[in-house]
Amino acid sequence: MTPDPALDRLVRRVSAQVRWRRVEHYALRGFFWASLPAVALLAIKGGVGSLALPIAAALLVLGALLGAAWGALKRTTRADAARLADRAFGLEDRVATALEWAERPDRTPLVDSLVADATARVEALQPRQIVHRILPRETRFLPVPVVIALVLTLAPALPLPSPRLPDFTPGSQEEDKEQRTGSGMLEERSKPESRERLRPPAFEEHEFQARSGASTASTAGDLSAVFKDTALSAQRPDFNSFLKKGDERLKLLEQVDRLPDLASDFTTSQYKMVFRKSKALTGGLRPDQISPQKLKELLEEMERLGRKGGNWSGDVGEGMEALEGGQTDRAMEAMQKALDKMRAQEEAQRAGKGLRGGRDNERGAGSRDRRGGGGEGGGEGEDFGEGEGLLPGKGKSASPKGEASRRLSATPYDVGVEGESRRGRKEGYDTNMTGRGGPMASRLNYLGVIGQYRKLMEDAITREAVPRDYHSQIKDYFQALDER
Amino acid sequence: MTDDGRVREFVTAFEGLRAEVEKVIVGHREIINHVLIGLFAGGHVLLEGVPGLGKTLLVKTLSESLELSFSRIQFTPDLMPADIIGTNIIVEDAGGRKHFQFQQGPLFAHVVLADEINRATPKTQSALLEGMQEASVTVGGVSRPLPAPFFVLATQNPIEMEGTYPLPEAQLDRFLLKLRVRYPAIEELNAIIDRTTQSRPIAVERVMSGAKVLTYRELIREVPVAAHVRDFASGIVMATHPQWADAPDVTRRFVRYGASPRGAQALILGAKVRALAEGRYNVSADDLKALAAPALRHRVILNFEGEAEGIDTDTLISQIVDTVESSTSQAREPFVR
Repeated sequence: MTPDPALDRLVRRVSAQVRWRRVEHYALRGFFWASLPAVALLAIKGGVGSLALPIAAALLVLGALLGAAWGALKRTTRADAARLADRAFGLEDRVATALEWAERPDRTPLVDSLVADATARVEALQPRQIVHRILPRETRFLPVPVVIALVLTLAPALPLPSPRLPDFTPGSQEEDKEQRTGSGMLEERSKPESRERLRPPAFEEHEFQARSGASTASTAGDLSAVFKDTALSAQRPDFNSFLKKGDERLKLLEQVDRLPDLASDFTTSQYKMVFRKSKALTGGLRPDQISPQKLKELLEEMERLGRKGGNWSGDVGEGMEALEGGQTDRAMEAMQKALDKMRAQEEAQRAGKGLRGGRDNERGAGSRDRRGGGGEGGGEGEDFGEGEGLLPGKGKSASPKGEASRRLSATPYDVGVEGESRRGRKEGYDTNMTGRGGPMASRLNYLGVIGQYRKLMEDAITREAVPRDYHSQIKDYFQALDER
Repeated sequence: MTDDGRVREFVTAFEGLRAEVEKVIVGHREIINHVLIGLFAGGHVLLEGVPGLGKTLLVKTLSESLELSFSRIQFTPDLMPADIIGTNIIVEDAGGRKHFQFQQGPLFAHVVLADEINRATPKTQSALLEGMQEASVTVGGVSRPLPAPFFVLATQNPIEMEGTYPLPEAQLDRFLLKLRVRYPAIEELNAIIDRTTQSRPIAVERVMSGAKVLTYRELIREVPVAAHVRDFASGIVMATHPQWADAPDVTRRFVRYGASPRGAQALILGAKVRALAEGRYNVSADDLKALAAPALRHRVILNFEGEAEGIDTDTLISQIVDTVESSTSQAREPFVR
């Protein structure tokens, strides 16, 4: 069964409307995209010449025509047209279904009734435009290139940028160059001419008079000479002087003694490297808990370093002997002595070099500041035992325990302690400082001094300076500290 | 009779049946339409609503309007499968010999009202499964066909869930449509009061036979569906699946499981009945949109987020339909493609 001619007519009519709308749609799109090169062409019309305007117009027409042709060539299926007609005329998919099912071999008897019904409804329709115009998105921006194109058409040609790189040579050298060779004369001459053409004559005269006394070489008609003598000319970048300054900086870099002491980093300082290893080895442990093997390795390393002119080899040897004899505490003491000597020698070497700046000066200043009452801890250098008063009763401070940190000088109301009991294999108590003084770091490095305090404690117990009843309590306290 | 005559007869019969039901049931025009759609599409309908909205009365009135047998099963927690399917009993013949004889249960009726179906145990609920899907029951290894047309109308109460057994998804899927019975408007309530408190009872006439129902069911299946309308139905069903690549965001966010292929069948069959009931020979996209919620609301399972957010399934389906309509060729102008 073939569909009724009325349905075919409707579909053809809708297809024609769709085609026309497509032509409009794609022509606009083509016009927009063609307007971009047209604007570009008009922007460089100074270089293109009088052909720019006709070519731009031709581009626009060509873009619109190509778009229209593209829209006209696009096919519209009968199903799409029928669906569009159904929707536009409120036919509830009658036409699309009738057209589809009329040609199907498995059509049901109801299809005949459907085709008849659809035909009757279509014939009763009044033909009208049902395909709405859909403007492409580019249309919103279309006024922009159009206005620009109009402006560019009416305005004089824009000056084109010169292909030459900017000249950084000073004016005198440029003059010499110009005298030596006349290769660039053509462009140099053309530029003043174009400026001359754009500049009003009165302004030109004024410029000449203002600079007439500046240079005896300038004449009334020599525009290039005028340009050279202006203050603006004096401000032109001098590449040679820039290079000269760069050379001076490079020379400065070669003077090692004047540089900041960047070489005194932790990783390059022998003392700090060994000190760090010793802390990692001994941190929080009693002498009998320290690994003799690792202690031996550390002493051997110190001995190796001492062969290069160090004066701590004797202490290291004493420590090795003590270690072989199983006296770890003596070995530790010897290692500490060697470390002290190592630090002293390193400081002496640094002072001998006369290095200035860098971390040493900074630290020295910081140390002086602290002695002067600053005393704020937390510096990285302090963690490595270089400051004064690190250990109780040592250092140059008048106080046997070193200077107090600012935390201690705060009022009791500024600082508080909060904590909670800790359950576990060994019960303990975790505390935190609170209040204004809380965030201030302790001046003493915990891991750096806890071993010393423990040693003092053991000495005190050995000397029976502590009542016997408190021994276990004190030992438990230090044991709890170890576990943390 | 010409095809046109058959369609006109169906339209008359549909409207006549609806008019008979509306003699008793006030308002609920859409519910009545959908119940009749379920009847002529050959499916089963689940009515959900709070007590007192006339669900049971609607089904009773429909059965009285049809020249069909009717049985009502009040589902209770102690109801057993044999109570609804039937069982073999020992009978003694004239010669004194005893033998088993199948005693039919209330399921052997054309129109079955399963009242408060969610109050029975899952075992009893599942006894309905075979009957609803295959139109037959098997007892003692013997399969017994149920009378045709066989139409189950079940009701359930969405509140008072304590002591109930919500229908499993497999059984919900057997229902062609799930209808939500809502409170009547004040004018409808006034009419209900007037009709039900007067002394004269309202008589309902039997206007359609079972044979006619079967004839119309065959006619329904002849209604043509255009490819783009069928695609729209498939798109709606697929869009309820969160795993589908083109699933809308709402589906991905709130849906755990989407509708089964039975959902698409229900959508198209229901749309065919709706189209023919309006005197139209073809299915339109509007038919699908009208049937989307009743055909899919019990087939879309919300995920935890959807449940927690209190997402209404009908709203969700409406959004899905809108999304599919705007994304498919239904709404796009063809000339920009």
